[in-house]
Order: sequence, then structure tokens, then C-alpha cells
Amino acid sequence: MERPKILVIDDEPDFVEMIRMALEREFEVLVAYDGKEGVARARSDKPEAIVLDIMMPEKDGFTACQELKSNSTTSSIPILILTGVGEYFGRTKYAKVRGMEIEADDFMAKPVDPNELVRRVAALLKKD
Amino acid sequence: MWRTLKIPGRMPFRTLRSKLVFSFLLVVLAGGLSSTMIGTRMVGNTIISEAQNKGRHDMASAWMVYQEKINRIKDVLHLTAKRDLIIRSLVGREVEVLRRQLERVRIEYGLDVLTVTDQEGVVLTRTRSPYRTGDFQGNDESVRRALKREIVSSTEIVLQEELAKEGPELVRQAYMEFVPTPMAKARPETRETSGMMLKAAVPILDINDNVLGTLYGGSLLNRNYEIVDKIKDIVFKGERYKGIDTGTATIFQWDLRISTNVKDKSGLRAISTRVAKDVYDQVLENGRAWIDRAFVVNDWYIAAYEPIRNLKGEIIGILYVGTLEEPYTDLRNNVIYSFFGIAFLGLVLVLFLAYFITRSITRPIDELVRATEVIAGGDFSHEVSIQSRDEVGYLATSFNRMTRTLKATMDELYVVNTKLQELNRHYLEMVGFITHELMQPMGVLKGFLIMLFDESLGSLNTPRQKQAVSTMLRNVDSLINMIQKYLQLGRIESGKMEVNKVRIPIYGEALQPILEDERQQLAARKMEVKVENEEAFRRAEGEADPVLLRIVFSNLIGNAIKYGREGGKIWCGFREEPGELLFYVRNEGQGIPSDKLTRVFEKFSRLEGELERRRGGTGLGLFNAKEIVERHGGRIWAESEEGKWANFLFTIPKAPKKA
Repeated sequence: MERPKILVIDDEPDFVEMIRMALEREFEVLVAYDGKEGVARARSDKPEAIVLDIMMPEKDGFTACQELKSNSTTSSIPILILTGVGEYFGRTKYAKVRGMEIEADDFMAKPVDPNELVRRVAALLKKD
Repeated sequence: MWRTLKIPGRMPFRTLRSKLVFSFLLVVLAGGLSSTMIGTRMVGNTIISEAQNKGRHDMASAWMVYQEKINRIKDVLHLTAKRDLIIRSLVGREVEVLRRQLERVRIEYGLDVLTVTDQEGVVLTRTRSPYRTGDFQGNDESVRRALKREIVSSTEIVLQEELAKEGPELVRQAYMEFVPTPMAKARPETRETSGMMLKAAVPILDINDNVLGTLYGGSLLNRNYEIVDKIKDIVFKGERYKGIDTGTATIFQWDLRISTNVKDKSGLRAISTRVAKDVYDQVLENGRAWIDRAFVVNDWYIAAYEPIRNLKGEIIGILYVGTLEEPYTDLRNNVIYSFFGIAFLGLVLVLFLAYFITRSITRPIDELVRATEVIAGGDFSHEVSIQSRDEVGYLATSFNRMTRTLKATMDELYVVNTKLQELNRHYLEMVGFITHELMQPMGVLKGFLIMLFDESLGSLNTPRQKQAVSTMLRNVDSLINMIQKYLQLGRIESGKMEVNKVRIPIYGEALQPILEDERQQLAARKMEVKVENEEAFRRAEGEADPVLLRIVFSNLIGNAIKYGREGGKIWCGFREEPGELLFYVRNEGQGIPSDKLTRVFEKFSRLEGELERRRGGTGLGLFNAKEIVERHGGRIWAESEEGKWANFLFTIPKAPKKA
């Protein structure tokens, strides 16, 4: 059985390496190192889920998330957003932070427990 | 704008000025009253003693009038007795000639009696009752002494029988029935039959100086008002006061008014009335003069009474002069009224002056007070302009100096403070930057350590390796926790913390995420969280910033895990209170000493002891929580039973009900 594809969009190589090791136990992991590349990869590779960092150069997570959710080819892909330290977002689909509304399927604050991340991603896939 | 000066105190006067005016008033009132009292008393006494002096003076004048009348009688008799015709007709016993000559003299000089005796004292002729002759008058004191060549004159009592001899009209003229008089001395008699007479007697001598006989005569005083009216005219010049004669004079026969110009109620001369008992006792009984106020018939008089004596020196009556007291009392009262009037005017004047004087005193003080308020309000550029050389002037000068010094100091402080704030901001930015930069590698470290520890990257060969990874993990957690607290602090202190209040379910938005995040930590310390009143808690909604409220719960629960007893329980709960929502996080464990219950919320405050050091607290968690709760308009506090439990409680105000 083919393993589900998960796209990780984050600009920190060490962090990416860490979560990749965790996720690879269950999923096939694709990586993009900035928002612009991430959005392009999501369109071309059509991953089953996306793990998206907020703080990135070129295109930050908010913008990327909006673009993905507003585009018909990618709008159905569940997104898990990784937030900055101490920046807890709501469990709900919509969260208001710094006056911006962001539409995502789940949120996790850094630093993340890799096992928890795997569990959350699996949960997102099951929801489909 | 001016504000009303308010000085708290027990005094009913709210301003310095009213106090000053009141003090002025008090002083003037005390001075004015005492001087008025003393003054009126002095003036009163002076007026009364002046009146009494006048009484004495009047008395002397009255006596002069009285004595002049007696002397006149004596002189008439003396000159008459020397006339040749009289002497010759007496020698020749030409009684009819003698009588006619003397009758002319008697009428000419207005005498009531003029009688001649021979050298033995037997009456030769009476001018008034020519046929009553031959009676012996040598027993009469005046006649007796005239027979001895003396010329005498005096006031004498003449008995009714003697009056009858001299003329029956004289009996009627003298006769008086007493009119009942209040304050008079009780007497058994009810009437007076004898008369009182001014009387003189002279010897009649021949050329060889032998006594041929005597000539005696006089005026009956009873009902004869010549003397008293003359006294009144001379002494008082007929002055009247409110329709009443101010001056009065009376001749008393013993205590009976026989000649007077004192009027009774019907306006008639008050003859037949009697003298007051006090006067009776002093003048008639003791022979002393009386000068005092006395109630005479109807009014008060300043009265002088002196005894009238006969030739033998016996007291037979009283001469009285009196001045109506009313003009004097009115004068005294007028003086008193004008004293009070002047005092009152003075008081008004003082009040008026005090109003302006105190204004000049209090105006600079008011100005100072206003200046103080301006400065208290933070405006140090204000200076008072008071040009006076007194203490207030010095105060104003010192005040201005103080203001300038203060302003200089404040300006310096402002500069320093601005620099400090800038430094602090730089510092916080640096801390924020460093901690943020630290977080990234820490996150990577933590992730790898977790995977190492749960051996998902391959098994660890020895228990010691596992132990080492576990300790590393614990230390990384601790570091991360510290960094998080500094990041919170940075946000709070730099003023960047915006409170974005939205209506949220507190449990779902703030508590549950933290419980999930802390699951591992709880498991590591074998602790368990119990949610009390869970159903209501899950329903509770409040206006709060979800992100910030999570920090509060995170810090409180983090603390409970850190300081709670291993294997113990943590209770999270909710209660609805009037006007606010109350939340608490309680844990079993050492608790907090009662004297530290408030200090734990201070920045960088940590409990002492080995436990604290090993746990690696920053002393920021509770401070951050407190700041956040207070920014929400709530309160936070701690309760504890030492050695058993600690409880942290906070409130947020209930949201206003939606319309």
C-alpha cells in the first residue's frame, strides 16, 4: 500500500530533518523550504496533508495558507499550522491572531513533540 | 480654573479667611463689650454723683432763699422797732397809734403776725386781732430772748391756741388732715393743728437804752408757697421735663408737707402728704442730711433733705429740694445706647475692614494653594508672583525656588527616564531576539531527544544511555519553559501586549489546549488533573484574549506540576460569582508560607530552597499571569495551607449581556 504524502513547508533545515524523521515512520515526506515553493509543490504533487510553518522568508505561512485554501486544486488538502513559540492558536478551524483570521485544520505550537505531530497528522488524514 | 478651597477640619470655618475675620470679630467684640460695660458704669456713676453734687448745691441755694426770708422779717422788725414814732407811742401808751403804724408795716411787708408786748412780755397790741391783748408772751423763747435785748429770728412751731390769738384765719390756714401716703412712717395722729412760722423778735429800746417792750412777728409757712416757688424759680429756673417741673422744693412741718410745689396725680400741690419713712428716720430721728434718690409722691427724684431747727436747736421740720431723676437716667441711658451704638458701628466697620484686610492676607495664600495644585497636577512652569516682605513673601520666594529646583530635577529625571526606557526597550528586544533564536534549536533538540527516548530511531543499548537522554530531555524542557516565560515578559514589558477580547468558551479555548500540551509533563510526574464543576466549566463563556488567557492557565498549571507533590492531584475549577467569573488551579504539595502569598506574584520572585533551584523557575510565570489578569480587569491571588496545598485563583469580569 502506498504511503500518504505529507508536504512539510518550513525554512529551518534542522527542524525539517527532525520532523521528517518522525513523519517518515508513517508517511512519505515531501519538503519545501519557503512558502512560495511550498504552494507550488502542493499544486504539483497533491499531498494528502500539509504541515506549514508560520515564520518563513519569501512567503509566510499565513499568506501560503490563504492561497492554498482559496485555490480549488489545493483547497481540500488539510493543513496543520506550526505557530511560533507561545503563540497558541485555537483548536477551531478559524483563529484570530494579531487581527488576522486564518483558516486551517489544526494548529500546533513550537516546540513540537514529534510523536504528537504524527498523531495529529494521522488524525487529519482520517477525517477525510 | 479656580477651585473652591477646601480645608478639612472640625472648625465650622472652611477658609483661613473666615477664621481670621472671626478672630478679628472676637477681639473687637470682647474689647468693645468690656469697654462699653466699664464706660457705661463710669458714665452712670458720674452722672449720678453729678446729680447728687447738684442736689447739695441746690440745697445750699434753697437755704439761702429760706434764710433770706427770715432775715428780711428780722430786718423789718429791727428797723420798725427803732422808729421814733413807734418808741414814742409805746412810751406814751398810745396803743391805737402804735397799732395803726404797725398794721401798715405788717401789710407792707406781707407778714401774718406783728405784735407788741410791754417790758414784762404782756401783749399790748396785735395788728391782726387788735382786741386780743393782755396775754403773757414772756414764756415764748423768741420774746423771752428779745426782752433780754437779743434780736432773734427762727422757724418755730406755733400751737393752735397761740394761732387763735394771733388770728382765727391762721388756725384754718395751718389745719391739715393727713393724706394717706405710701412709704410714710405710721403715726397715731391723723391731723396737724399747729402751724410752722418764720418768726423774729426784737427789743424796743428808749433813748436811754431801756427795754420798753418787744416787737415780734412772722409769716406762717403752712399753705404759703412763696419760699418753695422762689426756690424753684431761682434754683431750677422753672425748667420742665416731659411736662413735669424738674425742680421741686418742700417745707415739712415735722414729716408733713405744708408747703410744696411737688404735684400729686391730679396736678395739685401735694400738701398734707408725708415724707418717706427712710427720710423720716435719717433726718428727723437722727438729724442728718439725706442726699439720694427718693420716691417723691409719684416720681423718682434725686433729693436732698435737711432738718429745720427752731431757736432752741430742736428739729421741727425738713427743707427739701429735689431734681427729677428722669432727665439724668435718660441722659445715662442715652449715653449707654450711644456706647452700644458706637460699639455696633465699630463692629460693622471692623467686619468691613477685616473683610478687606484678610483678603490681602489670604489672597497670596490662595495663590500659593492654587500654585501648589497646578504643580501637583504636573505643571512645573508655574510661578507665584507675590511681592510682600512678610513671611508669605518669603514663603512665595521659597516656593518658587522649590518649584524651579523641582522642575530642574524633574527635567533631569525625565531625560534619565527616557534613556532608561530606551535601554529597557533595547534590552527587551535583545532578550526577545535571543530567546526567539534560542527557541528554534531547542525545538529541534527536544524533538530529537523525544524520539531518542522512545527509541523510535533505534534502541538504546543500556539503561544508563536511556537515563542520560531522559535527563537531557528534562533539562531541555526546563530551558524551553524559561525561554517561554521571557518571551511572555518581553511582550508584557515592551507594551506590545494587546488585549484582543473576544467572547470565547474558556474551557475549550484556554484550559483544554494547555492540558493537552502538559500531558507529558503530568505523566512524567505521575500527576493527574481533575476538572471540578466540569459541566458548567465547559459551558462558561467570557470576554477574554484566548492567547493571553492560555498563558495564564499554562503558567498556573505549569507551576502546579512543578511544585506539586509527585503523584498528587491538580484540581482546576470554575465558579460563577456576582459580576465575575472565578477560576482556580489547586495542587497538593508544600504550599506557600502565608507571608509569601503576595510576594510570589512579584517579578523574579522565587521561593527559597533546594526544590526551587532544581526546578529552575524563572520567577516570571506568576508575574506574567498577574499582569495579564489585571489587563483583563480581574484579580489574582493565592491561598495555601502550608505543607498541604496551594490554590491560585483569578477572576475576569463578566461580559456585558448581549442586547
